Order: sequence, then C-alpha cells, then structure tokens
Amino acid sequence: MRQMLVHPIRFMRDHRLVASQASAYLDRELDEPARRRVERHVRVCPPCHHLIESLRGTIAGLAGLRAETGVEIADVVIARLRDA
Amino acid sequence: MGHEEHELVARAQRGERAAFEALVRLHADQLHAVVLRLADDRHEAEEITQETFLRAWRGIDGFKGEARFFTWLYRIGVNEARRSSQRRSGLRAVTSLEQHRIDPRDPAPGPAQAAEHRDVRSALEAAIGALDHDYRAPLVLRDVQGLSTAEAAEIMGLGEAAFKSRLHRARLAVRSAIEPYLSAEDER
Repeated sequence: MRQMLVHPIRFMRDHRLVASQASAYLDRELDEPARRRVERHVRVCPPCHHLIESLRGTIAGLAGLRAETGVEIADVVIARLRDA
Repeated sequence: MGHEEHELVARAQRGERAAFEALVRLHADQLHAVVLRLADDRHEAEEITQETFLRAWRGIDGFKGEARFFTWLYRIGVNEARRSSQRRSGLRAVTSLEQHRIDPRDPAPGPAQAAEHRDVRSALEAAIGALDHDYRAPLVLRDVQGLSTAEAAEIMGLGEAAFKSRLHRARLAVRSAIEPYLSAEDER
C-alpha cells in the first residue's frame, strides 16, 4: 500500500482500472500496457489481488459446471417435430 | 460451418425433414446444456429446447449463412429462454432483479445461507439461478459452455463491449455469492 502514499492519483486510477477490467484481464483481452498496469497494481494492492484471485476461482468453478445433460434430447425433439 | 453441415442446412431449406433431423442430432445436446442453465427446471428446459428447434425448422429459410448455424440456433434458444423467464417473472411479480439480484456489492451469504449448499458446485448453481436472464445468459455461454466472447456476444445480439460489461457484472455477483467457499478452499 506504500504506492498509494507515494503516487496516490496513479494508485486510485489503477485501482479503478482493476475493478472495471478484472474480467478482461483474466480473459487476456487487455492490451499490453493495460495488462502491465493491472499486474503492477495487483502486486501492491491486497484488495485488488483478492478480487483477481477470487474471480479467477469463480471462472474456474463455472467451467467445472460444463457437463453432459443426461437426457437424450434429440429423440424427444425429433418426435415433437414429427408431431407438429 | 463445415461442408457437411452446410449441405444439411441447404437440404433442410429445401424442405428435407431428414436433413433438419440430422442438424438436431448435431446440436441438440449442446443447446440443451445451455438451456438447462437458463431455465428454472428440467421440464421447462425441455420445453424451451423443443420450441427452439420447432422455430428453427419453421424459420430455416431465414438463415442466410452470415453467421454460423449454431450461432443462429442458439440465438433462437436464448430468446426463447428469455420469453420463458419473462412469463415466470410476470407470474411471480418479482422486485427489480437489476437492483436486487446482481448487485456485486451484495454481501456474501451468511452462515445459515451457506449451510444450505453442500459444496461450491451447488453454491455456484444457486448463484447462477439467482441472476436475471440478461446476466445469466452471458455467463452461461461464455464461462460454463466455453464459447468465445465474439460468439457469445453475437448469440446475445450485443456488441462486444456491452457483452463484456454484463459478463463482468454477472461474474462479480457469482463471486460474491460463493466467496465463503473460495476462502474455505484456500485454507485447505
């Protein structure tokens, strides 16, 4: 947090950047300068570090929900189409 | 779109039901997986999936090949799920979901609420289920089904910037809901 005392305006600007662009950062959709700003800020700001890591865990958890449906839905749909 | 699928679409557009049925077999499982996450229960999901293919069959002449076939099909499915969600909302007269369901500043669930979920998976499912359709669909398409941002945005009929904004807010809401589980996993 020392950065906040040394460069308070830059610190808060980068803080807002992380809050709004955390998803874009994790999706690797930021350009190189923005990515570097996020990484520099996250190293010195515990709340932003927590935000990034907890969002990363959330996204990984969501990907883990991808699963088979357990239903032979194609047969059901085709039967309905033939009835229609 | 692969050559085989392109052929099936062309034949279906000439009225060949067998070709359309082959398209059903290609896409039904994946579409149904998406719809299961957008609907409240399995019965509703089956209805939406069936209705989606019925609409697609009746409207296949409207597919011009500018998008991939599955993008066009998923768009019908997501719109059908939205209509179904709106019908549910009308029945329940819910308060503003925009304000109450996805506010990332909502506090994390308390111990009693957390105890209702056996694990992080059921907490995730509950958190997704609590999202309004307009936020749930981007999350399901992008994070659960793993589509690209461009594909998912096109299905939603949104520009990429608007799509990313909704996705970010939806992720923040889910993160807030499952925060206790993430912390517990860190401590193990």
